[in-house]
Amino acid sequence: MTNFIDFLLGGFSNGAVIALMALALVMVWRSTRMVNFAQVGQAMFTTYIALTVQQSTGNWLLALAVAMGAGLVLGTIVYFLVIRPVKNSDTTGAIIATFGVLIALQAGAGMIWGGDPEGFVPPVSNAGLEFAGRIWPISLYDILVLAVTAALVIGLTLLFTKTSLGLSMRASAFNPEVARLSGVRVNRMLITGWALAGATGAVGGVLIAPVSTISPNSFDILLVFAFTAAVIGGLDSLIGAVTFGIGTGLVISLVTGYTDASNAPVVALVLLALNLLLKPDGVFSHHGSRSV
Amino acid sequence: MSNVDSTTGKVSNAQKLRSFPGNRIVWHAVIVGAVWLLLLLLNNNIDPLYSSYLALVAMYATAMFGMTILVGLSGQVSLGNGALMAVGGYVFALTSMNWQTVPIFGWQWNAVWSMVFAGLGGILIGGIVGGLAARLKGPYLAGLTLGLAVGVPAITNRFPELLGGENGLMLTVPYPAGGYSAAAGAAELGDETTDSGADPGLDPSISVDEDQYAELDLSEFDQEFDEFDQDIDPNTNAEAEDLLTEGDLLTLDDFSDGGDLGLESPEPSEEPIVDAGVDSGVDSGTVATDSAGSLDDGFIIEQWQASMAIAVACLVAFAALNLIRGRQGRVWKAVRDDPIAAAVVGISPSGSKVSAFVVSSLFAALAGAVFAQILSFVGPGAFGLGLSLSLLVGIVLGGRSSLLGAILGALIIVWLPELVNGLAGERGWPDQITNNAPNLLYGLLVVAVVLAAPGGMTGTLRSWIDKSRGKSRSPLS
Repeated sequence: MTNFIDFLLGGFSNGAVIALMALALVMVWRSTRMVNFAQVGQAMFTTYIALTVQQSTGNWLLALAVAMGAGLVLGTIVYFLVIRPVKNSDTTGAIIATFGVLIALQAGAGMIWGGDPEGFVPPVSNAGLEFAGRIWPISLYDILVLAVTAALVIGLTLLFTKTSLGLSMRASAFNPEVARLSGVRVNRMLITGWALAGATGAVGGVLIAPVSTISPNSFDILLVFAFTAAVIGGLDSLIGAVTFGIGTGLVISLVTGYTDASNAPVVALVLLALNLLLKPDGVFSHHGSRSV
Repeated sequence: MSNVDSTTGKVSNAQKLRSFPGNRIVWHAVIVGAVWLLLLLLNNNIDPLYSSYLALVAMYATAMFGMTILVGLSGQVSLGNGALMAVGGYVFALTSMNWQTVPIFGWQWNAVWSMVFAGLGGILIGGIVGGLAARLKGPYLAGLTLGLAVGVPAITNRFPELLGGENGLMLTVPYPAGGYSAAAGAAELGDETTDSGADPGLDPSISVDEDQYAELDLSEFDQEFDEFDQDIDPNTNAEAEDLLTEGDLLTLDDFSDGGDLGLESPEPSEEPIVDAGVDSGVDSGTVATDSAGSLDDGFIIEQWQASMAIAVACLVAFAALNLIRGRQGRVWKAVRDDPIAAAVVGISPSGSKVSAFVVSSLFAALAGAVFAQILSFVGPGAFGLGLSLSLLVGIVLGGRSSLLGAILGALIIVWLPELVNGLAGERGWPDQITNNAPNLLYGLLVVAVVLAAPGGMTGTLRSWIDKSRGKSRSPLS
């Protein structure tokens, strides 16, 4: 039982990062109705930038801020250069194009920073906390990860529910035609969605880097987990992405704890397949109301 | 019915000829056979280094023929084909390693049986995944198959005793009994050259023979090319009607016949090789060991690998050609372009998607088995996400919906890294740049192609030809 609790606790910070990545996928889906398979590639790239900043200044907060800024810019660039020209003409092509961006980003990162895994020094201790006479599987850094994630999720929720920008974004996601008629600059909302998704993914990348290592391909597996979480959550639900992102993190932690880390992708695959079979629209989806 | 021109109501003889399925199969067999012969002649007359490239190109092309059907015709973006190649590779490795001495139906266990089982494994897994995939649209399918590409290689770690874990499995490739000699390609044509094939002393005669055959091939190929040109401009009315009739056109059931037909053809070629080995019994052993010899002398492993890969690629191309240009190809396109309209005329959209998935899985598994033989090794690293992505890249660059595009894509995938390596050697680029330059190019090219020329190389070429003829057509058709 203590094992079970330990494994669960250990899964929270991973789950938080998966939730952030899933959140990024969902924001892109909501704005342009497509999955950005380059999302973790963008996050990987901005994490390398953050790594460079941290190595030269030693300031983690600055690195995080730079990564977020780079994520905003990268998301916008990808949208403008790739997605906007291809989006309407060819859905198959749009999916393929995001994979093209992923390949190019990974190769580019490999060119600039090399292919060897690099460590990312955490700002606070990564060792398990000692409390009530035993060492818990949660470190100070895990708590920081959870705090940053919570702050970001709360910020995004406030943005989407309390500001006029958020309202416009929701309107253009829900029905672009009607939103446009109501005076919403739909195109700007789409860009904002991509940029925000880029920044969210960038935060996720910076947060996971000290726990794993960072190499051009090290986030591939994160894409599978995040996609699983986003799809189970319904692909257009922010709450669903966060809930199932953390849920996926917990399941993976349990699987890794009780069996072996190499089973994690297989379990994610099974979860994804089961969900697509049983409830293809996801748990938190608004599809039912949309199709009326 | 389908032969009647809808505007004139007359049946033209040419149309009759072209729409008769048996006739079409013969033409396809001649096209593929001619290409096969040309490739074998090429293989026997080039440096073994180039033969190993040829083997890789043929292997990639085999897998990409499946991608043509899956991505191009059926419109399903899949990243799972690398994983399905892993299935084929591992089945081949396990069966050829563990059951090598067991005869089945009186036929001694060898690479062919292992290939058959690899194909069956591909069909099985492809059927399961395809059943899931049929329920999914665009991004969902891509995501699920992405999971497959990451998950399947990870499974090997789960069974380290059976599958070798991270280190993979080394396998002893079951070479043909008599060894592969340079003249084996010529031996495909008939018995008269087989005797000389085992004897290095008769080189001049071989080359004379080959020249003759080369001439013959070229003339045949020209004819084929004309026929091909004619077939390129389809009568759209006839096509639409064919879609509605379930008549004499090729269905998936015919595929097994086509496969049998194809599988028979290598037999006469294999037997002479074995015979040659038996005839010159003493030689065969020495020939096989003296592999370091010149081109015409003895067993050259790269050439054998290339001839094997070419054989598989040609058989798969033959099957794919019949499927794509037959009824099933039109069914796939119909479902891709408008699933609802296809359902209205009695096509099952999900059935069509599953069949595309199963066929491409079969091709991928066969390619995986070939890959295992080329590498003499299977491991999770060789079949990772990178392989799946490179298949996607190749098919997009070459041309999503034509078999020629798949071949061009395979050439690009094999040739571009070599080009970059060559350039890097000249210019003295650091490894960090050299190792990543091909992938950077792939990524940028894929984006550029999707944006500017969605039909890839063949699609663009075709639309130029159409434009010069004053016709217009979607580059993806």
